[in-house]
Amino acid sequence: MPLRIRLRPRALCLRIMHPKTPLSASYASLATATTPAPPIEHIRSVPPVLRYPPTQPPSHKPPEVRKTQLHRQYQSLLKSSALILLFQHNNVKAVELMGIRRELAIALDKVDAERAKNGQPLFADQIKLQIIQTGIFASALRVVEFFNPVESTLDHAQHPTDPRTPTSVQITQTTNSPEDERFKHGLSKHAWDVASNRKLKIELEPLLSGPLAIVAFPAVSPQHLKTVLSILSPSPDFPAPRRKANPDLYEPAVQSGLQKMMLLGARVEGKVFDMEGTKWVGGIEGGIDGLRAQLVQMLQGVGGSLASALEGASRSLYFTVEGRRMDMEEKENPTKKEE
Amino acid sequence: MITRFLTNVRVKFNPFSPRAKPARLFLSLIPPDARASGMVIDTKMLPRTSKEPATLGVKFKDGKELNLELDKMRITEVMEEVDRHSRILARKEELTGN
Repeated sequence: MPLRIRLRPRALCLRIMHPKTPLSASYASLATATTPAPPIEHIRSVPPVLRYPPTQPPSHKPPEVRKTQLHRQYQSLLKSSALILLFQHNNVKAVELMGIRRELAIALDKVDAERAKNGQPLFADQIKLQIIQTGIFASALRVVEFFNPVESTLDHAQHPTDPRTPTSVQITQTTNSPEDERFKHGLSKHAWDVASNRKLKIELEPLLSGPLAIVAFPAVSPQHLKTVLSILSPSPDFPAPRRKANPDLYEPAVQSGLQKMMLLGARVEGKVFDMEGTKWVGGIEGGIDGLRAQLVQMLQGVGGSLASALEGASRSLYFTVEGRRMDMEEKENPTKKEE
Repeated sequence: MITRFLTNVRVKFNPFSPRAKPARLFLSLIPPDARASGMVIDTKMLPRTSKEPATLGVKFKDGKELNLELDKMRITEVMEEVDRHSRILARKEELTGN
């Protein structure tokens, strides 16, 4: 493009730099105002500059909208909860919901008080009844199940704009556009593309319609599960606490709210269970420790019986031979005695 | 959906079957105070492996019973069926002047 300011060509020639290095000193005709490149040994590579904050890489939808925030929350909930119960709530009023949450908290605190005596980990305050946005939850579940990028440890350890990062480090050259396929976080467009492949189906899909609420447990604890089931979906296997023991539970508001809650199923460590399966998980005696003890006992028993089965053949042979020997000795001895 | 003429709702479905959706949605359409004003709602959930079709049984205030198999119906069709009789009852109510 021609210059806006009309400069006389002679004026340009007069502006010659006097460089210090010997490279262009003798070339006055090279009247360009550029610094000559330093020798190769002095070149240092500059780490790439990220134009997005490290805590918020570009996401598929705008990051400030509630949908994206909920998506991220649900992804983290799904990854961190070992056990998730799914309920349908049919027009439960706010006062009823309040009452239900209160009763749940009281019952779980009682369980935790007992566990504190035995020194077991406590997580009553992490177990809450949460009403979820079903569509966003379904989308987050798809991302969690189907988007498994290969994460190298270097991705988390080093960051380009961190001064401690050595310049020789390999850094993923991600650009600022959300469409870049090198992004590995769950909110990226790449994650959405992978997860929205309709050929992949999640097991929980038929349950994910209508108004839903979840109760998420950080670990599979049959004790806590039993308590939650006895309050939220009482049945002969999990009877609700008696009126005398817990009069507040039988308030009309709480009872009408509880009648509107339906247990649909559960997701335990990635596997889907229906109502009976959930009851089975809740019915495991003694909690996770009891289950472990049972397993250990079974394995020990198996080991013992295996060992005895293997040596049984040689043992019976030994006894047979010994018995025969004894017999023969006895026969010899009496004959000797007789003699 | 007009629900003030219903006295009894009986639903049976397998939540893992995709055809149980109208059953669940019907339950979510019942207003919050329905139980307090005398409606009896009975829900039965079938196990995951069950192949039984989802059923909905509704009783009205004039004694009429409506039993629907929700296998081939969508929720809009279910609502239409229930509303049809409810509208007849509503008209009767209007005419008798309350």
